Amino acid sequence: MDRRELLTRVYEPHRSSPGAARYTNAVLRTQDNKEVRFYDDLIRGKQVVVNFMYAECHGSCPLVTQTLKQTYREFKDRMGKDLFFYSITTKPEEDTPASLKHYAEMRNADLPGWYFLTGDPFDIKTIRFRLFNMDHPGFDVDLNMHTGWLRILNDARNYWGMAQAFATQKNILNRIRWADMPKSHAEWVVENRKIQIAIEQDVKKYGYRRDI
Amino acid sequence: MPKNEANNRPEIDNKTEGTISRRSVLKIGAAAGAAGVLAPSMLTHTEALGFQTIPEPGVCASAVSPNHHPFVDEFTAPFPADDHPLNPQPTEFPNLGAGEAPRAAHQRWSQFTPAHFTYELEARPGLHTFHSDFLPTYIWGFNGQYPAPTCLQKYGKPTIVRFRNSLPDDSTPAVPEITVHLHNGHHGSESDGFAGDWFTNPFWKDNLYPNCYAGLDVFGGNGDPKEKMGTFWFHDHRAEHTQTSNIMGLNGMFIVYDETDPGHENPSAGSLQLPGYYGVTDFPMILTDKRFCATDPVAGRTEMIVTAGGTDKWIINGKIQPKLTVRKRKYRFRILNTGTTKTWNLTLIGADANGNAKVQPITVIATDANFLEHPIVIDDTPANAGNSNADTAPITPGGLRVSVAERYDIIIDFNQYAAGTKLYLKENGVAAGQKVGFPSPDPLPTGLRIEDVVMQFNVVAREPWFPKDTPPIPATLCTYPTLPPVNNNWEWQFVLVSGVFRVKRPGDAVGCVFDPDHPAHCILRGTTEEWLLNNNIASGWTHPVHIHFEEFRTVGRFTNGVPQIPFVPPLMSGRKDVSRLEPGQGTLLRMQFRDYNGRYLIHCHNMAHEDNFMMVRWDICPDTNSLNACIADQQICENELKAKWRLDEEVA
Repeated sequence: MDRRELLTRVYEPHRSSPGAARYTNAVLRTQDNKEVRFYDDLIRGKQVVVNFMYAECHGSCPLVTQTLKQTYREFKDRMGKDLFFYSITTKPEEDTPASLKHYAEMRNADLPGWYFLTGDPFDIKTIRFRLFNMDHPGFDVDLNMHTGWLRILNDARNYWGMAQAFATQKNILNRIRWADMPKSHAEWVVENRKIQIAIEQDVKKYGYRRDI
Repeated sequence: MPKNEANNRPEIDNKTEGTISRRSVLKIGAAAGAAGVLAPSMLTHTEALGFQTIPEPGVCASAVSPNHHPFVDEFTAPFPADDHPLNPQPTEFPNLGAGEAPRAAHQRWSQFTPAHFTYELEARPGLHTFHSDFLPTYIWGFNGQYPAPTCLQKYGKPTIVRFRNSLPDDSTPAVPEITVHLHNGHHGSESDGFAGDWFTNPFWKDNLYPNCYAGLDVFGGNGDPKEKMGTFWFHDHRAEHTQTSNIMGLNGMFIVYDETDPGHENPSAGSLQLPGYYGVTDFPMILTDKRFCATDPVAGRTEMIVTAGGTDKWIINGKIQPKLTVRKRKYRFRILNTGTTKTWNLTLIGADANGNAKVQPITVIATDANFLEHPIVIDDTPANAGNSNADTAPITPGGLRVSVAERYDIIIDFNQYAAGTKLYLKENGVAAGQKVGFPSPDPLPTGLRIEDVVMQFNVVAREPWFPKDTPPIPATLCTYPTLPPVNNNWEWQFVLVSGVFRVKRPGDAVGCVFDPDHPAHCILRGTTEEWLLNNNIASGWTHPVHIHFEEFRTVGRFTNGVPQIPFVPPLMSGRKDVSRLEPGQGTLLRMQFRDYNGRYLIHCHNMAHEDNFMMVRWDICPDTNSLNACIADQQICENELKAKWRLDEEVA
């Protein structure tokens, strides 16, 4: 992974993207000790999934990482191209790039398009608040409150979505796909037919027949 | 199909290059400030609005809204929606070829069609002026309007509403994808605006609203008239983005009349003769709160900020601090909180003999869409304290608390006030009040701050041409159906675990987050269940819990698992579809599941919470085979989660 790869941009930002004003352009470090700017290098024009973790976390963090690994497999062809995962440490004081590298390798998660990030504690706290702020002190000040969340962004659409590591895999995949670039009308016509077939299969499976 | 015409418009422009096209004329018109003012002979209503080019909003980051002068704008009811034939005609099966979104076939199609009323409500951008001091604001509205046009309906006259998505991919944080829920209609799940069934521009979907009473299976005909409801509302229910859609303005009222409540005040068989002329003596009161950017005279806009936090303007029927001239007689107001998160605490304020602010009585006649059996007068005196809808025993005096999606129909009798009296609707829930910036043009009662006022009532004598006062409010408004025996007990716990809002079922280890693909609870059609909605995990969060499909009856209230005495506060004892759970509280309720099959929802109606997964799918199954198929899947979510936890243990 080099800086050029990080700078690969598939789309332009949406014209209404809040850009660095919301996401900040804080300089973070990847597990390979590369410097990256949060908005310009990681968010701008991209579809990304962001979560917070720390290497020594034995609560929900490994579960989240496992979930992301499973998700990664589904999106393998897109990862590092137009879809990226960012796992940001909530304990930057403890988590150096090296320890994050170790964490990622231990879990076979040191993969293209998936960055484990550390940086200045103030910057990271700012990013965490910008992405997960619920305007509720009981929620926002508790580190553990944000570890199960996956923030799904598509800067090229200014899409702002979310999933939970605790959702079903299908649900997580769908929510990430909901953030994909808009389909064309023709693509939606095809997609709607697929959805219709799925609906009819469900009605049949559960016996929700239409007659009284 | 109109949308195809829209798509073809650039070509029309090309063809007329060199001449002034119709589109160009309209652009000129819009540039001259004449947006929306078009000669009727030139274009039909729909065409005219379809041609309007509404520029997108900019981005601003104002911490506070601009100031406004109080009591400038008139408080009015949203216009009634006009019904017209639909083209193409509605069909039982989805008309995918003509652009309808996917859905299951309509249930009870042969029984409820052809529909008496058909409407088309198109979700599209529009401009709305929230206050005369402001310039127009970019909104998303049904037919481009906020609040949406009101559908005025009658029991026994089924309706099809074609919801069309014409929303642009624009500069708002909202997502141009919709699924519209009629809260709280008794209809098939394919017309219920299921959160996972959203569709995009330019598709549309027909929702069949039978306007029937619940109880079709048992009572036949149009169901059990004792199940009558009145004040419904419709809103976008897109999973994950309900909040932003509703901030943008995608909601409106839907009122259903019947013989007891016929929409007029003339004596007629069975009529309660309540104030009943829509927009004259019977008004929706649609409440929301917003924050605005500074007015930009160059852009000609006062944009709103799409946020639920830091709101500092209170909007009622689309206006900030409006005024209403009322005659000395009774009026009905249908209070609705469209959220997206705020709970209102309302009182009516007048002045006592010394000019001090004094809470005035209001009479609650309906909770959510349902008449109370007996009207309840509330104010802040101990005599009427027991009738306040406080949360737990002991019930303390207070205002009318209205959490998101709740409706309260109230009657105010202005006849008791002298002409010239001014009364104020006050919001008690926010210490700082709203941002005003200018003093009240009229002296306020001592102790009332202008920042706390939602709107003003000016009492005048009744002119001869204005409808005469209605008779006294009847002591009995309706008789409730008998509560049927319980077939099954169930519990939903509204919890926050590991930072995730979720709903736990009995026996769940952790509880699932919203899964649109699998049922979490399966119910045999025709049965009655007793559900305990529980918010007893010390969380500090209030959850106004909404159950789709049918009204429930509250049979008990709990605090930290302890039954409360008196069991149910009077305003919670009626038929309802939203149950407010303050921290530590629980509600035991009884509800019937009948007449239709399919997928429905229970969720917290704080839109921030429902978007963050505090929502569950439950299904109604027509027979035991169906029930078994459903039950086979109801553990999928939980089992997958358990597997994840095991995986977690291995890894850790």
